Amino acid sequence: MTFVVTEACIKCKYMDCVEVCPVDCFYEGENMLVIHPDECIDCGVCEPECPAEAIKSDNESGLERWLALNAEYASKWPNITAKAAPPPDADKWKDVPNKFAEHFSEQPGSDHNADQSRAA
Amino acid sequence: MSSDQEHSERRARIVQGIVDETGVNEEMIVNLVHTFYGKVRTDPLIGPIFERVIEDWDPHLAKMCDFWSSVMLMSGRYKGNPMIAHMRLKMVRPEHFERWLELFTETAAEVCPAAAAEAFVGRANNIARSLQLGMFYRAEKYPPPQARQDAP
Repeated sequence: MTFVVTEACIKCKYMDCVEVCPVDCFYEGENMLVIHPDECIDCGVCEPECPAEAIKSDNESGLERWLALNAEYASKWPNITAKAAPPPDADKWKDVPNKFAEHFSEQPGSDHNADQSRAA
Repeated sequence: MSSDQEHSERRARIVQGIVDETGVNEEMIVNLVHTFYGKVRTDPLIGPIFERVIEDWDPHLAKMCDFWSSVMLMSGRYKGNPMIAHMRLKMVRPEHFERWLELFTETAAEVCPAAAAEAFVGRANNIARSLQLGMFYRAEKYPPPQARQDAP
């Protein structure tokens, strides 16, 4: 069992989850995070932390697609272990529908900690 | 909503909710961890495994207190990779997890109020299940990405 990051994270990327995750199992894309299903220990700490309510337990039905996406990109994107500044317009994207089709980026997050904390 | 202060206030509210609901606090965590591992060390089934793997108990107990504080009270004090640590232990089998959970459940009932015991045991069950998936069953559940791409 694991938790998975879903569509609501896209372009919000608040990263509060990264701060509380005891096992550092988040990986960072350009505009979304994912959870490595082999590293998550299902402790559940991140779930209520997410302001966008993007994190779900894979106990819930209908998340197969997101589980596969988390597994795939966790092996492609860099590990993120410290919260950086979220995008300045994160709040604007919070309840926007259909973000995956229109905005998902396959690009990895780049130099996340250094760049974004300077920007903050 | 995205300022640091708002986010820490939000976290404080979540933690306060957990405390109000369960009564879990740091002192209870220390008591539970120390009492529990006291039982583990003398247990005929899992005691010998722990005695073989843990060289120095004081730092291990401190680490376990940090772990449970991070899991129950979101303190962020523990950072580690328990999945890898457990996968290295080739002698550990599912029956050892079962015994671990039995002792943990028993200890939580002894040293915590009912709501807190339930919260600790709920988390422990999920974590144990997840570690076991990784140690004993992972290969079928999450094939590596290349395998998935090759699949029809």
